[in-house]
Amino acid sequence: MTEDKIKNLLQKADKTAGTAAPIPANLAADVRRRANRRRFATLAAPVAAAAVVLIAFGIWCLTGVPADQMYEQGKVAALQAEIKQLQAQTDATLKLVREVLENQRRQHRIAKLKAKLASITDPLEEVQRQVDKTAFTLVYEANRMYGELNQRDSAIQTYKRVIELFPQSTWADVARRRLSEIRNSSANKNGLSI
Amino acid sequence: MAETNAKSLASPAHNNNIDDELLAKQFNNGDDSAFDRIINKYSAEVAAFANRLLGWPGDVDDIVQDVFLAALLGLKKFRCECSLKTWLFTITINECRNYRYRQVLRLKIFSKAADKVSLSPAHSADKTPMENDTFDRIQRAIRALPAKYREPLVLKYLQELSTNEISRILDISQNALQVRLSRARKRLKQDLTELIEE
Repeated sequence: MTEDKIKNLLQKADKTAGTAAPIPANLAADVRRRANRRRFATLAAPVAAAAVVLIAFGIWCLTGVPADQMYEQGKVAALQAEIKQLQAQTDATLKLVREVLENQRRQHRIAKLKAKLASITDPLEEVQRQVDKTAFTLVYEANRMYGELNQRDSAIQTYKRVIELFPQSTWADVARRRLSEIRNSSANKNGLSI
Repeated sequence: MAETNAKSLASPAHNNNIDDELLAKQFNNGDDSAFDRIINKYSAEVAAFANRLLGWPGDVDDIVQDVFLAALLGLKKFRCECSLKTWLFTITINECRNYRYRQVLRLKIFSKAADKVSLSPAHSADKTPMENDTFDRIQRAIRALPAKYREPLVLKYLQELSTNEISRILDISQNALQVRLSRARKRLKQDLTELIEE
């Protein structure tokens, strides 16, 4: 009794509230954009961390040279030599850091090119994919015709077309299965009516 | 027996499950258009469900977007053990919980602006099957319910799902579901005594 009243009350309130705001037409595009951004962020974090570590390493290399040896009493010549040596060391370290960075950039570029190369699909595969997609679309539409629109004959025709056009595909198997299901259900209905 | 089988095979629910399975399979094969179909098929239902779960705020675009983002990122892991709709509803519940949690945090931080930040009421001037005052009371009562009571109520009385589906979505046993529903009704009865006894 109370349950029915609560149900009625909730349903009336739901009717009063009206429907939710209409879904924007570009929802799928927005969702995809956000997914790409998230994937990029997932990749960017470790790269940024590696860059910070590298920069810290570079700074440590540059500042790690002992400075207290530079000023010893009355040994200007020795100091100058030492300074030159230090400069040479600094240059060498900088060169090394540059080389490491350049190498890293090169590796990154190679990885990018490899990924690009891998992403280029084989034309045969692409054709196969398109064929598969077409077969799927036909099966999907046939399912809708049969299940939602009650167009049994058109659905059967479409399933037959899938079997005829794409006999080797997995969707042809699905179509065969659906056809036999429809036939069974019709046979059962006829049997019952007799 | 044969009749039952034939009926279940030809039933819309059975057909719907096959469609869902096809869509998920096709998406996993790399066909992006399958995701568009999923959005076309379920976005309105997800929006209506989120709207009800949050106490009818009206604008639930962000939540719907979050739900389908989670679905896009997780669709490869979807194993068709339940229907796509059940799975999307589970995601919607989680997203709504997160949304309410963020809302509560925001209210705590900006406690002075609490009244302003709260969800705007969804009165409709043209449709009046119920007076706005009564609607406000029900809306407040629903929003005041803890999530564990509000969710089964919405799924049962507004989405009109079976107890089997609800327990699957909420990941609880049927007994636990009945207990929650009974407690939710008890609370609502306390809050809305006059309306229920009218």
